Order: sequence, then structure tokens, then C-alpha cells
Amino acid sequence: MKVSLKWLNEYVEVPADLKAFCDRLDLTGTGVEGVEKTGAAFDHVVTARVVGKQPHPDSDHMWVCKVDVGDKNVDADGNPEPLQIVCGAQNFNEGDHIVTAMIGAVLPGDFAIKKSKLRGVTSMGMNCSARELGLGNDHDGIMILPEDAPIGMPFADYMKLGDTVLDLEITPNRPDCLSMVGMAREVGAMYRSDVTLPIYELEEDASLPNVADLATVEIEDPARCARYTARIIKDVKIGPSPEWLAERVTAAGARSINNVVDVTNYILFLYGQPLHAFDYDKLVGEDGKAHVIVRAAADGEKFTTLDGEERVLTNDMTVIATPKSAVCLAGVMGGLDSEITEESTTVLLEAATFEHGRTSRTSRNLGLISESSMRYERGVDDNPIVDYSAAAAALLAEVSGGRVCPGVIDVYPVHTERIQLTFRIPRFCQMMGVDVPRADIVDILERLDCEVVDDGTDVLDVTAPTCRPDLEREIDLYEEVLRLWGMDLVEPTLPASPNRVGALTESQLLARKINRTMTACGLNETMTYSFTDPSDMGKLRMSGEGLGEPVELINPMNAEQSIMRQTIIPGLLHSVAYNQAHGVKNVQLYEIGKVFFAHEGRKQPKEKERLAGVMAGSMFDQTWNATPAPFDFFDGKGVVESLARELALPKMRFKALSAEEAPHLQPGRAAAVMSGGTTLGWVGELHPLAVDAYEATAPVVAFELDVEALAKAARPARDYVDVPEFPPVSVDVAFVVDNEVTNERLVQCITSAGGKLLADARLFDVYRDDKRVGVGKKSMAYALTYRAPDRTLKSEEVEKVQAKLIKKVCGATGAEVRG
Amino acid sequence: MAIVEELEALRASTLAAITEAIDTAALDEVRVRVTGKSGTLTAYLRNMGQVAKEDRAAVGKTVNEVRKVVEEALEARKKSLAAAELEASIDAAAVDVTLPGRVQQLGTRHLINRVSEEICDVFLGLGYTVATGPEVETDYYNFTALNAPADHPSRSMQDTFYVRDLSGDEAAVRGESDVLLRTQTSGVQVHCMEDQELPIYIVAPGKVYRRDVADPSHLPQFTQIEGLVVDKGITFGDLKGTLDYFCKTVFGAERKTRFRAHYFPFTEPSAEVDVSCGVCHGEGCRMCKGTGWLEILGCGMVDPNVLEMSGIDPEVYSGFAFGVGVERVACLKYNVPDLRLLLQGDMRFLRQF
Repeated sequence: MKVSLKWLNEYVEVPADLKAFCDRLDLTGTGVEGVEKTGAAFDHVVTARVVGKQPHPDSDHMWVCKVDVGDKNVDADGNPEPLQIVCGAQNFNEGDHIVTAMIGAVLPGDFAIKKSKLRGVTSMGMNCSARELGLGNDHDGIMILPEDAPIGMPFADYMKLGDTVLDLEITPNRPDCLSMVGMAREVGAMYRSDVTLPIYELEEDASLPNVADLATVEIEDPARCARYTARIIKDVKIGPSPEWLAERVTAAGARSINNVVDVTNYILFLYGQPLHAFDYDKLVGEDGKAHVIVRAAADGEKFTTLDGEERVLTNDMTVIATPKSAVCLAGVMGGLDSEITEESTTVLLEAATFEHGRTSRTSRNLGLISESSMRYERGVDDNPIVDYSAAAAALLAEVSGGRVCPGVIDVYPVHTERIQLTFRIPRFCQMMGVDVPRADIVDILERLDCEVVDDGTDVLDVTAPTCRPDLEREIDLYEEVLRLWGMDLVEPTLPASPNRVGALTESQLLARKINRTMTACGLNETMTYSFTDPSDMGKLRMSGEGLGEPVELINPMNAEQSIMRQTIIPGLLHSVAYNQAHGVKNVQLYEIGKVFFAHEGRKQPKEKERLAGVMAGSMFDQTWNATPAPFDFFDGKGVVESLARELALPKMRFKALSAEEAPHLQPGRAAAVMSGGTTLGWVGELHPLAVDAYEATAPVVAFELDVEALAKAARPARDYVDVPEFPPVSVDVAFVVDNEVTNERLVQCITSAGGKLLADARLFDVYRDDKRVGVGKKSMAYALTYRAPDRTLKSEEVEKVQAKLIKKVCGATGAEVRG
Repeated sequence: MAIVEELEALRASTLAAITEAIDTAALDEVRVRVTGKSGTLTAYLRNMGQVAKEDRAAVGKTVNEVRKVVEEALEARKKSLAAAELEASIDAAAVDVTLPGRVQQLGTRHLINRVSEEICDVFLGLGYTVATGPEVETDYYNFTALNAPADHPSRSMQDTFYVRDLSGDEAAVRGESDVLLRTQTSGVQVHCMEDQELPIYIVAPGKVYRRDVADPSHLPQFTQIEGLVVDKGITFGDLKGTLDYFCKTVFGAERKTRFRAHYFPFTEPSAEVDVSCGVCHGEGCRMCKGTGWLEILGCGMVDPNVLEMSGIDPEVYSGFAFGVGVERVACLKYNVPDLRLLLQGDMRFLRQF
């Protein structure tokens, strides 16, 4: 909403300090989005006088003028001589006072005036028409000023155009503020100053036929139109608006078109009441009368709006029609066929209110958002419509020379009643946490046009004005008083209640533990899109079987983001590819986030929280004293093992996954992560084909774990074990076994054979050599630690257990001890 | 007195050898040669029996004297040699301390989650708990229960992502589906009011989705933290005090806040909160577009309709709610120029935080 302060100042005193005024508007809920000083557009535009006029030597319609611009005179050589300007207008003579845009001026429409040559003659500026100055539609010639106009005065000063226009953000609950009168009332309440509103006296011409004899109005569906009024103005002479009117509608952000259109816009900006002016003669039917019908549009009905576009309507839309055809899209835009033209002489003036929801949908669906539709969408008060229509008619008569027919047609099926409310002063003060004096409360409400009955008790009886549809409940009045009295005056406090304890839940603590462990493992947390490409599971070669259907978006931004993800890995793989493509070789990423599975018959999908990680390259680049190992399966597994330790997951196992079980992983480098019998997720190197499908470079180590499963398996802490008091005995042993014998199997045998005295078996070497170890064999070397909790072990004791252990392990696995 | 002379000669030669020993190893050789088990001086002691009786006293005295002197000299020389050797080894071990250290590469948290956790911690300290809710919500929890009118533009297919409803229910509100990607974490409020015992003091962080094309200042997926308090006697002053404390904790104690009246369907009175610009301290600069203030969050007293819809008596209880855009806070704190960086997974970005 554009508000001219010059205009506003006619109704209420606008504070002189502009910054303070804008701040106060901001704080009371009217956001100031822009401050524009008009007149600035007229920099380098001055009043001038034609002192010479010669025909252009090389043109039969242009003139070479000498234009006196007073102290700004300058010729091409810099001498203080009148400006030489080539001009194509025909409506001026030597001696005329005119308006000249000098070099450097920028006229409306970003039209920059430069030194130029027209058919070989230098021109130092331009003589302006009203239209070129954005002041009206008159472009029949340049603007001629009265003879007493000074010479060389900035045009903005001459026209007293110096104005400040605020661009205000009006919140959707405040339709009243989409008008000068409403803003005046708001500013009056802000500063508790008085408001003087304009008064228009309508003089009807009794010699003319009554409106009722010229037209009828019928509302078919009152749910669409609560009130429709019509007046008729005859003998209208369409022409340019007087300057004051053009100036007003221009300041409010419209273009001055002609006197009739400008009056309807003026009333719209003044009162927030949209009007529509029909060419009455085009509505008149065979019986010599105009029959106006407000009705639903038929589905598929075609209608050409005044912008020349043919629109296809739906039943949800409302039209104003004659019995023959629609003439206006109610509340949104008029029709081409009934538009006011230069030939129009009789105007039927519509002032009505249309239901906001339908108007809103109509304008949005057709992409026609106008000053009118915007106001109907938020609600137009039906009560003062007749007064506003009278003001419009009076003004129309004044500026167009027309005569107003007696009477008004007023079809008013639905009245909006004023709402009675109570205002409990103690409750208000208690809830806001501040004592607002009673007198202030009453004064603020009254300045908002509420009727307040104050009988001295704690409760005020308040009647809200119908222009404020947002004042429906007591709390709505609280808001008004608080914001206008001053939110800034409320002392900040903290809630006094003792009944609260701030704490994280177990799963939130777990999430923090996971984050700490992942970062300690050198992984960097990231975040990727929750929506993804339907082809993702296929590209990744992942099987989604048994998990549920993908969640489909009905209105995705694009096909690549049209379902909700079922695994986090594709997002992470995209990031790996992105990094690799940008020269970042070492990538260690993890993400905790939801994945989604829909099920037939269920409204909402299952949302599962997952922890996923990817590792590519190595942990760091070669340094002067450390050489990093490239990431492989065991780096991913190591991260999972660290997590298992931190979460105290019991009975951790890694079970090899076959190509069928995990097609997205490279066979032989893939494992299910298990705690006891529960599968927590998987870890492995992604299948080279899957990595390739995402344009990343293998190997990429990855894991994905179910957070809920982790939470279920996690124990709050590990059990305490006594710190050893007696020294250990360490013995190394290397078993040569077939390649198929797993570490898990060997450790099982070692542990069970070692009994209570075996404290630890640490694998420290795996060695393959066809000659020394044998084909298809490997040497697995373990450092065994023996210890007793209550004594220092004797070497004979250890030797005995060790011998037994070796025998059992060899017996069970076919191992041989390597010498 | 041949023996005594021999001893004197031995003393002289030993002391000379001790002085000449260039390191502790050479010194130890001297020690072994003279005072060791089969050392020359030790031999005299051992052979004392063969010394003539009348000479024994004098020889014994001399032997002991020599031994004492030699041992003292050995000890002294050893100390000085050891000190010198230590010094030499320290000198040799000196490194260029400007060489890089052996760093264990730690991972990093994502900026948004880091800030989100920081904000939650502020409220944990104020006695709040952290609540969560589903990202795929029903129209009721995302809009209706929050007082949003049925034809509110934010509900349109242009602004909100709708998902296919597999329940077979007829869509009640809009077109094909009443199931959507939540556009705000406010729905968690409603779940809490329905499910939790009063009083309620919660913050609800989480992802939200809106149909915006990703550009430097918009993302179709971003992060919000919703706060809700419902208790007896909650005032607008409590709202101000709480959010003032929040802003000062997150942005710095020297920052100021201001509350601008605003409109939201689910709160009344409603306000937007600005924090004073950290660059110009309120003077006005490019960062704050000349206003001196940066918009941080929206808030207000919970609308009585919202309380009532959740079965809470607005005559007995009151409350406040607020919503913070985590991306907004993060960008203001760290000057991130383009929101899309947050979802790219670029290591060079992630590792800065």
C-alpha cells in the first residue's frame, strides 16, 4: 500500500520526523518497506520559456528552439546561452512557458535525457508533454504553463510535487489499512491525535430520471455478493483529470488514465472501496433499461476482460452480467465491451462487495491480481458502500461535468452487524504483564472507531466497527491496545512457574553421542535433500523389498525431487561426486536423517531415522611425518566399531553379505552389522557400478544404520571390570590356516580354549605367501595375554594353557602353528 | 717403601686417566681397570696379607686414601661427563617447532545442526524439553489446528508440497490429498498440547519444506525451531523476557532486541523480533539494509482458538509461541552468502565449522 504523506496529512497530522514516524509504524505493525521521495524523478526538469523557434532545416515537422532555463542556461560550448532543443510538438509558440527536461534528467519509464543530434542538429534536452512526465495521458503536445510561471525553477518545486510516499506492508488481517482513511485512523490511534475525514456533498439533478427507471439490479446468490449498489451519472465528458486528481492517483501507485477511471481509483485509495464504472449505454437492453445481474459464471463460459484477453471461467467465479452476457468479472476486472471509452457519456457506477474467498481464488487462478481484487480478497465493509458511492458520484460530476441521476439502487441481502465485545481490564493487564491505564485503553479503542461503554467497572463494553473484521473476540482488542500503547513498554520477565525441568530424552542423548562419536572418527556431518529421484534405488542397485512404497510428492519442484528418500546414501554419493569433481579427493561424510516408507491404507508414511556415512580417498593428505592409508572396508567397519563401543552395544557381529543379499555393495567387502540377533544395518564398499552411476570414483566405503535399532540395543554404560592388579604374561602365536577360516572362527576357538586366564587375543598380523605359508593359506598371528586376577602367573602355568590352546585351535580349524 | 710409591704412582696415573676419559664409557673402563673386581687398586687390597707386618698400616692407609681419591674423582668426572652428554643429546634432539604437529583429524558438525543444538541448549537451560514430530504431516496439524483459514494462500499447491495419500480417505481440505510435507514445525505444538500434561515448555527443532526454488536466499527444505509455553499466568512480558534472553545468548550480550507488532493466524497478539545489527550496532549499514535491525523470529501469545482446539481452557491457561529460522540465525552469525551451500556437502564448506 503506497501512502502519500502529503495526502495523509490532510486527514491527520503526520509527524515531521520521518524516521521516527517510520519506526513507530514498524513497531505498531505496519511495516515500512520503502520510502520514496517523489519529485526526485524530476531532477534536471525545470520550468522554461521558448525564446526562439525556427523550422528544422532538414525536417518539415520539427522545430529548432531556443529555450531559456534561467540560471541553468548553457550552450554546447559551455556559455550561458539558452538551450538549443529540437522539438517535434506543434502546439507552442515563441514566448510560451513550458517544461524542459535537461541533460541528466530521467523521466518516468527510465527515459534518460542525453545530449543528442536530430537530423544533424544538436539538441540539449527535451520539451515535455504531461504524459512524458507521468502526469496524465495528454500527449497532444508539450505542456504549456501559465504566463506567470517562473523560469528555471525545478519542476517539482513549481508543481509542489515534493512528497514522500511510503510503501507499507499491510498484514492480511487489516483490510481497513488499504485505504487513506484507514491509515489516517491508524495514525490517529498511534499518536492519539484527531482525524478529520473528507466530506462530499452529492447533488442529484432532479430533472433527470430516477436510477430505478434506468436500471435494475438482481443478486442471484447472496453468498457471493452481500451488497450491490448502482448510480447513474449522465452527460459525462471523458477527458484528462485535473492535476490534483492525477497527482493523487499517481502517488498511490496508479497511472492517471482519464477523469472517470481516476475518480474510481481515487475513491478506492481513499476509502478502500473498489468501484467499477460501466458505459451505461452498452448495458441497456431492448426495453431501454440496463438489467444488472450478479451471478455465478457457467463452467467454460468465455469472457474477454478489458486487457483484451479471453478468459475461460468456472462456476466458482462470479460475474456481473446483463441478460445477454457477462460484462464484468466481479471484483477482479471489467469487460472489454462495457468499458468506458472517450465516447462514453453515461456512467453506471457500481459499488459493491463480493465474497473474499471466491474473489481470491478467481484472481489467483486467472493471474489477475488488481487493486480491487486485493481488497475484496481481504474483505470490503458492506455498511458504508452507499456513502462511498455518493462521494464517487459527487466527485465524478465535479471533474467530468456530469449530472447525477436521483436515487441509488441498493440491493443488500446480507448485512454485516457490529460485534459486541467485552474488555476485562484486569485480565488484559495480567495477560500482557503490564498495567495500562484505563483512560489509555478507552482512548485507543475509541480512536479505532470502537464504541466504548465505560461504566467504571472492570469490564468495558466495546462495539467494534464493521471496517475491522479482525476485531471479533476480546483477545483481538487486547492486541490493538497492546500494540498501540506500546509493546516496547512491557517489562521483560521470565515465566515464574516452578513446574518445569529441562532435560533431553534418552534418544536425544543417544543422538548427541552418535554425533560425538562420528566427529571423533573424523567424519563430517552434512545434510542433503529429503526428496530424491524415483530412479535412485535402481541406480544404487539397492533392493527396497519389504520396506514399503516410496512417498510420492503430488507437486514436486522437478522429477529429480519427486519422491521422499528411502535411503540417505544417494544424497551422500552425490556429495562425494561433487567433491571429487571439485578436486577434493578425501571425503568423509555422515548424516542423520529421516527416510520414508509409505504403506497402502496408511495416511502418513513410516518415518525412520537413519545414520549413514560415506568415506572416499583417505583421512588426510600425505604429510611430512605421516602417510595415510586409502580408505577401505575396514575404515567403515572401524567407525561402526567405535560407535558400538560408545553405545555399549552388546554382542556385536559383522556377518558377510552375499551379492544377492546386498546388491549395492561390492561382494566380499560387505557385512551386516548385528547386535546379538538384531540387524542394525550394513557396512561395506559400495558396488563399483553403483558408484559409477552417481559419477563418483570408487572405492566408496559406506554404512547405513537404523537409529531406532541402535537406541534399542544400546546400553547406558558398560559394566565395570576390576583394574588388573597382577602383571600379565604375553605370548605370540601364528596359526597357518586355510583362507576360508575367518578371524571370527579363530577368535572363538582361542577364546573358548584359553579359559579364564586368557585376558586378550589381539590379531597383529595377517600374512600370505605361497612359498612360505602355502597356496590357499594364510598366517594369522595373535598376541595372547594371560593374567590371573589374584596372583602373578608362573611360566609353567602359562605354558600349559598355551599348549592346550594351540592343540584345541589346531584341532578345530585345521591350523598349524607357524614356527 | 716400594708399595707406597707404587700406589702413589697408580694414583697419579689413574687421576690422569680419569681426567682424560672423554665419555662415560671411557670413564667406566678406567673404573673397571682400577677399582673393578680385578682392578689394579683392588689387587693391592686383596694382597694385603702378603705385605710385611710392619708396613701394613702405612700401606693400608695409603691404599684407602688412593681409593677414596680415585672414587671421588670418578664420581666427579662421571657427573660432569653425564651432564655434557645429556646436553649434547638434547641439542641433537632439537626439532623445528614450526613443523606441523601430528593431528588426529576430527570431524565437524553441520552448521545448521550445530546452531540448532546451540539454540535448544539455551532453552534446555530455561527448563524446556525438546520435542519432535513427523515431517510428513496432515493438513490438520500443519494448518487447521493452527487457525489457518481453509483458503489461506500458504495452503496452495504453489506453496506447499502435498504427498499422495494411500489411506483411501477423501481429501477434506484441498484437492487430492490432506497429507503434506510440513511447512512449519508448529504442528509439533499441537501434538504436544494434545498429548502432554500441562504445563508445557518445549522447543521443537526440525526440517520443514516449502515450494521455493533453491537460490541464494531460499531453499525448498530448511530448518525451524518452534517454541511453545502453556502455563497458568504466562504474560506477554514473559514472551519478551524469554526471547530477549535467547537473542542475547545466541548473538551476544551487547545486542538489543525490539518487538514489532505483526500478524500470524495462530498467535495474538503477535510480534516479529529484531536484534540490533552486529555490524553497525544500530547505526544502519548494508547488512541491515540501513535499518539498524535484523529480523530474527516471529512470536506471539498463543491464540485462544488454538488452545481451545487442543482442549485447553484459554480462561485458565495462557501461553506463547515462537518460530526461529535456523538458517537465518546461522547466516547472520557466520555470514554465509548462499543457502545452497548448506545442502551441497562440499567438504571445503563443511570443514569450516
